[in-house]
Amino acid sequence: MKRRKRGGRPVGRDPGGLLSSVVMLFFGSAFLLLALRDMKWEGFALAAGVPAMIWLGTHVLPHLFPSDKLLLSLTNFLCALGVLVLYATSPGTAYRQVMYYGVGLVAMVLCVWMVRLVRSWRLPVVLLMPLSLGALLLPLVMGRETNGATNWIYLGPLSVQPSELVKISLLLILSFYMSRRRMLPWLLFSVCCLGVLMLQKDLGTALLYYGVTLLLCFASTGNLLLTGLGVAGGVGAAVMGYRMFAHVKKRVAIWRNPWADYENSGYQIVQGLMALASGGLIGVGLGLGTPTSIPVYETDFIFAVICEQFGLIFGVCVLLMYVALIWRGATIAMAARRSFHGLLAMGATLMLGLQTFVIIGGVIKLIPLTGVTMPFVSAGGSSLLSSMCLIGLLQGVDSLNDDDLDEDARIALVSD
Amino acid sequence: MKQQRFRFKLLALFLFGLFLLLAVYGGYSVLVYGNRWFASSKNPRVRAQKESVVAGSVLDRCGVVLASTDEEGNRVYQADESARRAIVHLLGDSQGQVANGVETFQTSYLYGFQSTFPELVALLLSGDARRGDDVTLCVDSRLCTVMAESFDAHPLSAGKRGAAVVLNYRTGEVLGMTSLPSFDPQNIAGTDPTGEPYWNRVTQSLYPPGSTFKIVTAAAALENLTGADALTMNCTGSLSVLGQTIRDYGGASHGTLTLKQAFTVSCNNAFTITALTVGDDALRGKAEDFGFGDNFLFRDLVVENSAYPTQNRTAFELAASGFGQSAIAATPLHMCMVAAAVANGGVMMEPRLLLGAISATGRSRSVGGERVYRTAMQPETAALLRDYMDAAVNAAGATGSRARVSGLTVCGKTGTAESSLNGEAISYGWFVGFLDDESLPFAVAVLVEDIGDGVGGGSVAAPIAGDIFTYLRDNVDRVTGSVAEMYR
Repeated sequence: MKRRKRGGRPVGRDPGGLLSSVVMLFFGSAFLLLALRDMKWEGFALAAGVPAMIWLGTHVLPHLFPSDKLLLSLTNFLCALGVLVLYATSPGTAYRQVMYYGVGLVAMVLCVWMVRLVRSWRLPVVLLMPLSLGALLLPLVMGRETNGATNWIYLGPLSVQPSELVKISLLLILSFYMSRRRMLPWLLFSVCCLGVLMLQKDLGTALLYYGVTLLLCFASTGNLLLTGLGVAGGVGAAVMGYRMFAHVKKRVAIWRNPWADYENSGYQIVQGLMALASGGLIGVGLGLGTPTSIPVYETDFIFAVICEQFGLIFGVCVLLMYVALIWRGATIAMAARRSFHGLLAMGATLMLGLQTFVIIGGVIKLIPLTGVTMPFVSAGGSSLLSSMCLIGLLQGVDSLNDDDLDEDARIALVSD
Repeated sequence: MKQQRFRFKLLALFLFGLFLLLAVYGGYSVLVYGNRWFASSKNPRVRAQKESVVAGSVLDRCGVVLASTDEEGNRVYQADESARRAIVHLLGDSQGQVANGVETFQTSYLYGFQSTFPELVALLLSGDARRGDDVTLCVDSRLCTVMAESFDAHPLSAGKRGAAVVLNYRTGEVLGMTSLPSFDPQNIAGTDPTGEPYWNRVTQSLYPPGSTFKIVTAAAALENLTGADALTMNCTGSLSVLGQTIRDYGGASHGTLTLKQAFTVSCNNAFTITALTVGDDALRGKAEDFGFGDNFLFRDLVVENSAYPTQNRTAFELAASGFGQSAIAATPLHMCMVAAAVANGGVMMEPRLLLGAISATGRSRSVGGERVYRTAMQPETAALLRDYMDAAVNAAGATGSRARVSGLTVCGKTGTAESSLNGEAISYGWFVGFLDDESLPFAVAVLVEDIGDGVGGGSVAAPIAGDIFTYLRDNVDRVTGSVAEMYR
């Protein structure tokens, strides 16, 4: 047994300290640069505030529960990166985003404690199923179409995307029933969710829900036949959707040749590609370039903005951060003692990984573009909140793993 | 639980694979297509930069300034109007009327997007206006003028639309390019738009290659049929395939011919028989070796893709393919590359335009060197085809005799192609060829549109090629040495 210090981490495996200092310095100077450009007090406030939040997120939070510092550092870096590029392009969005970032940190802590404290998940899960479906249905009743999909509800000044928050309950429901080997409830719930999402024309989110359900099903059962059936069903639904719905056909046509209808439907992706090409390997520089020419650059195309300003090499580094995040997530899932916790952690990892792949793949024209957000980075409260909750689930499972290890050590000591 | 852990590991690897795909595909597409996306006239970034940066100059290989920016920030081209017109399609214009001319496609150099960080800092400190890089092309601008004038010098081609291009077959450098009708980049407002003057016919227009495609058919036969060189065929003047009659040019009956003799007199019947014997798969395979059907992604030039048809391949269509008809289509530049491949032992070089680029502070930028595009055929095939093309110009009764130039060995192939436009048949005269000379390694393609009845490529296009070869012979220093040495 390795010697462990307070917080339950093995000694010599704490990448938090120096790394987060460098990260804080990076963001402090980057915001200062932009603040000097604009000479606005908000800029200087961010130059002090964002590093402070990173410090809070990576140094203070670990005192509340035993936590994985690398995961925290990565999360905070990506969130701060989002605020930074948003401030460089549209300051108003950045102020809101930094607020969501703070709320997200709180939500993350709540999720950690939820995972730690809830002993029996039966009642919550049973309650969550109708609640989640109801929430998913809300936009169809009281929402209006935005960017081709009806997936938002508007509560006064607040706009919420229920499908983002339902991700959390989807994971809880899937892992609860899968760990108990009861197939019918989760299958029914997933199919209902997919149906509602299709009705809302929210193809990207539907793809995510489908992918996570399928891969978790494989992880829990290892049943290749069942997984194969799921893949076949998905492909069948995709082909049918392509045949039946004009908007699916259009998406595919744009993907195959966005230049054919440059002025209209292909405009967004072409502008994104031009941004990628303009950045080159090292980028045009923070706050420079013309990334705002891309429609909805703040959410779907934030990766193109990052690549234009910081370059392709930095873009690949951002990809590597997600890879590191996935690696930590999978490690946590593999270290879990209970099947439920393992599936929960793996589900959160899959959700984050797939979502990142789907949106970046769309931006670089590897796959047809579907409007999902880039986790932690894209503008938007619902998305940031749900991504932080996913990290909360991972941290929660990790803290339980640590508790188990400590318990082992104690028992070993006693039996000595 | 243990098995579940193993599956978690599999899923993590799956996700890693997806991310690897993102990085590889993203990097690949930006490297390969990046400049095409960036240089698009629709890129708002370029428009913004054009307002704040003084564009660099464009020079030809002898140091002649083709385009520069004057004190008021206007783009100025050569003083002589005919010189301006002759090179305008290659060079492009400040308004972007010509798609992908140097002026637009090389934006990243001309407008200083290649400037490094220290350069920008030095510029900021000095307070000077930002200047783009000067770009030197491998083109000889005087040759372009000679090419355009040659069209008008011969009565059969005077006033016709057409295109001509000269390549160095060893390096792929474009030495000259002209497209007719042309326009004056200093007076775009006064341009008569009939005949699509903004269209670069060398790189953007696809034509049926006609008998010049016999180079490909002959290569397919030589590499797929044993002893093809010695086989004889009987030409009776007409041949019936699937009820349709294929006639020779002028209704000639050539009698018994070898492949080489058939090539020399450009016998359609013999090449019909050859194509039918070789078969569609082998002929398509050889055409693909020559770049037909490929997505051309050259670094300096945007070239329309050539086509070998894939649909409706009846025996008649295949027969017509043997002499370059039946929806086969190629640009003059690509047919020039076909001839160049024969001259270069079967190796096709990527056509290039840039010799070098130099920053305002005198730093030389990397523009990429010569690169093999693909190997079109075996060296033995190329050697045989060289002899065929030699005979097609220099033998008695050869169709390309008007391209001969004293003191040099000219090899080539003529072509007379037909296509229908709005129900009317239009014929095109072709000549593709090269100089078999180590000190003048140049290949040429000439195309004249709508040449009229009773005229063939041998009488309308070959004389223009002859003029080009004469110019090359008399200006060895201009076309092989000079400013280019600076960059080597």
